[in-house]
Amino acid sequence: MPAGLELLKSIDTFSTFTQEELEKIAPLVNPMKVMEGEILAKMGYRARTFFIVIKGNFLLSFKNGKAITLHNKGDIMGWSTLVAPFEYRGTVIALTNGEVLALPGQEFYLLLQSDSALCSKIMNEINSIIASRTPYHEV
Amino acid sequence: MYGLENISAHNGWAISFVGVTIVFTGLTLLCLTIAQLHKILDIWENKDKYINNRNHKTLTSTPANAVPKPCMPVEELETIRQYKMIADRLEQPFSLPKLLDIAVKIGLERPHSTINTLLVKKIIISDGKGYFIWTS
Amino acid sequence: MVQLFLEFLSNTGFALADYRHFIMILIGIIFIYLGIAKHYEPLLLVPIGFGILVGNIPVFKGLGLGIYEDNSVLHYLYMGVTSGVYPPLIFLGIGALTDFSTMLARPMLMLLGAAAQMGIFLTFLGALALGFAPNEAASIGIIGGADGPTAIFLTAKLAPHLIGPIAVAAYSYMALVPVIQPPIMKLLTSRKERLIRMEEPREVSKKEKIIFPIIGFLLCCFVAPAALPLLGMLFFGNLLKECVVAERLAQAARTSVLDTVTILLGLTVGASTQADVFLTPQSVGIFILGATAFGVATASGVIFAKIMNMFLKTKINPLLGAAGVSAVPDSARVVQMVGQAEDPNNFLLMHAMAPNISGVIGSAIGAGVLWSFIG
Repeated sequence: MPAGLELLKSIDTFSTFTQEELEKIAPLVNPMKVMEGEILAKMGYRARTFFIVIKGNFLLSFKNGKAITLHNKGDIMGWSTLVAPFEYRGTVIALTNGEVLALPGQEFYLLLQSDSALCSKIMNEINSIIASRTPYHEV
Repeated sequence: MYGLENISAHNGWAISFVGVTIVFTGLTLLCLTIAQLHKILDIWENKDKYINNRNHKTLTSTPANAVPKPCMPVEELETIRQYKMIADRLEQPFSLPKLLDIAVKIGLERPHSTINTLLVKKIIISDGKGYFIWTS
Repeated sequence: MVQLFLEFLSNTGFALADYRHFIMILIGIIFIYLGIAKHYEPLLLVPIGFGILVGNIPVFKGLGLGIYEDNSVLHYLYMGVTSGVYPPLIFLGIGALTDFSTMLARPMLMLLGAAAQMGIFLTFLGALALGFAPNEAASIGIIGGADGPTAIFLTAKLAPHLIGPIAVAAYSYMALVPVIQPPIMKLLTSRKERLIRMEEPREVSKKEKIIFPIIGFLLCCFVAPAALPLLGMLFFGNLLKECVVAERLAQAARTSVLDTVTILLGLTVGASTQADVFLTPQSVGIFILGATAFGVATASGVIFAKIMNMFLKTKINPLLGAAGVSAVPDSARVVQMVGQAEDPNNFLLMHAMAPNISGVIGSAIGAGVLWSFIG
């Protein structure tokens, strides 16, 4: 079983996904080690990569000085790769060494466009994340 | 020829009207057919039992809020004191990114993991609104 | 020796060029810039832009170099355009790429795609009013279908001398959909309407997805047989994709075939866009009508959605009407963007793909109708 598929299966966010759906996402998944202090996403920059936390603590900061920390396995960063205007809404910095799954935004977006059922599941997850984080990036 | 005269001379009105009608007819017929397709297929397959959804594996995940083991700089108390000074200057509740930024600028050692340590030890906690406060 | 040198110089581009060549070269460079630096439809604008450069290098006629010279390489490659071969092959690739399930889940949204095709026929009338001949007017009208391959296909059949400006207009406006559509969408809808959330679509079974291209092809081509080359390939490509057993063929259709034909089509259409055809008052008319076509198509789709809402219990978001303009997937993305500007949690992209895809079918039917009436 490819490493990406195994990792996806171990994440709660994907627990309702079928094998077929996970197999579609798995080839895009790229496990990535991050170093303490590494910047994964910069606010205002073109959103090119979608991240899923595997381990480590990450600081997600917004324009108004607000911030949240993400350290749960399955936490998502970079949902702007799937939502116009495709610019990161916040800056992500690794507070510790860690590991994330990186998915190339363009390919991920195209995959979702070609599979509406999968798109629906992913976007439901993302919608709840957007809703929970909107209060932080509003001035 | 120009204007309405040219349109009439070349049967423009009729072509447009018939053209729009044909496009609408074609897509409406397709729409009606598709709308019935899944019902017809359901009836056809009615005698077969639907395959139940597979049970997904119970996934074990690491416990919620599992924060990595903190990195401890050598002089812990001194470090905490330094960060407390910065936080006091920022006033509570403060912006954590701003605290980090200042710590980086003034050259404190390993500011990212230090802040992580402060979070883990709940010396710094979130106020639930995106800002952070320094607990005593 | 001096004589030879002078003869050589007289055959160079510098000696043969006039100001129109330089204008066209500048236009080609602008297209390349828009494609690379601004990311406006780069897969189309870069080949077309470079093709414009290729086609506007001043060459000595008779050496078999220019695109319109019978024995030139470019001419042979261009035959795919003039004979109408490339567009159906592109549709094959599009069919193999496209997931029709959003359309199958909510077939009613297909009518929005039908409504947007009014842009074709209203622009046809506009072109006739401006004095264009019927074959030219039909070729200009099809720009309103917002479908590059369809526009090229029909123009190759009806008015091949206008392929250059019409293709450039069609692809330029497709790239500008995010600029053209939003103001019209906001003008024709209220905030309350833009906030309408769509119901979750039902799940579509594999069998439906396999049966649909067959039924769709038969139905559409029985209604409009002239749409056969385009719709036949579109549905065939989709069947290859959905049947799974021919995944290798589907993969080839949506990657190597589609990419190869896109390169050849873009390059040769660009090369055919020469100054004597492009830099004319007619081209200005084509560009104005093209912009009008897109605007009218957008407005038609949105207004039709509002009319549908008068009769529907569960309202649809009228922004979806703009996605009936078959610039796939850009107009669906524009709907998503405009909808999210009002409500960040309103995800319309998936729903907008339904009228978007039906717009492709509708514009192909429209092209078939115009070809059968005027061809």
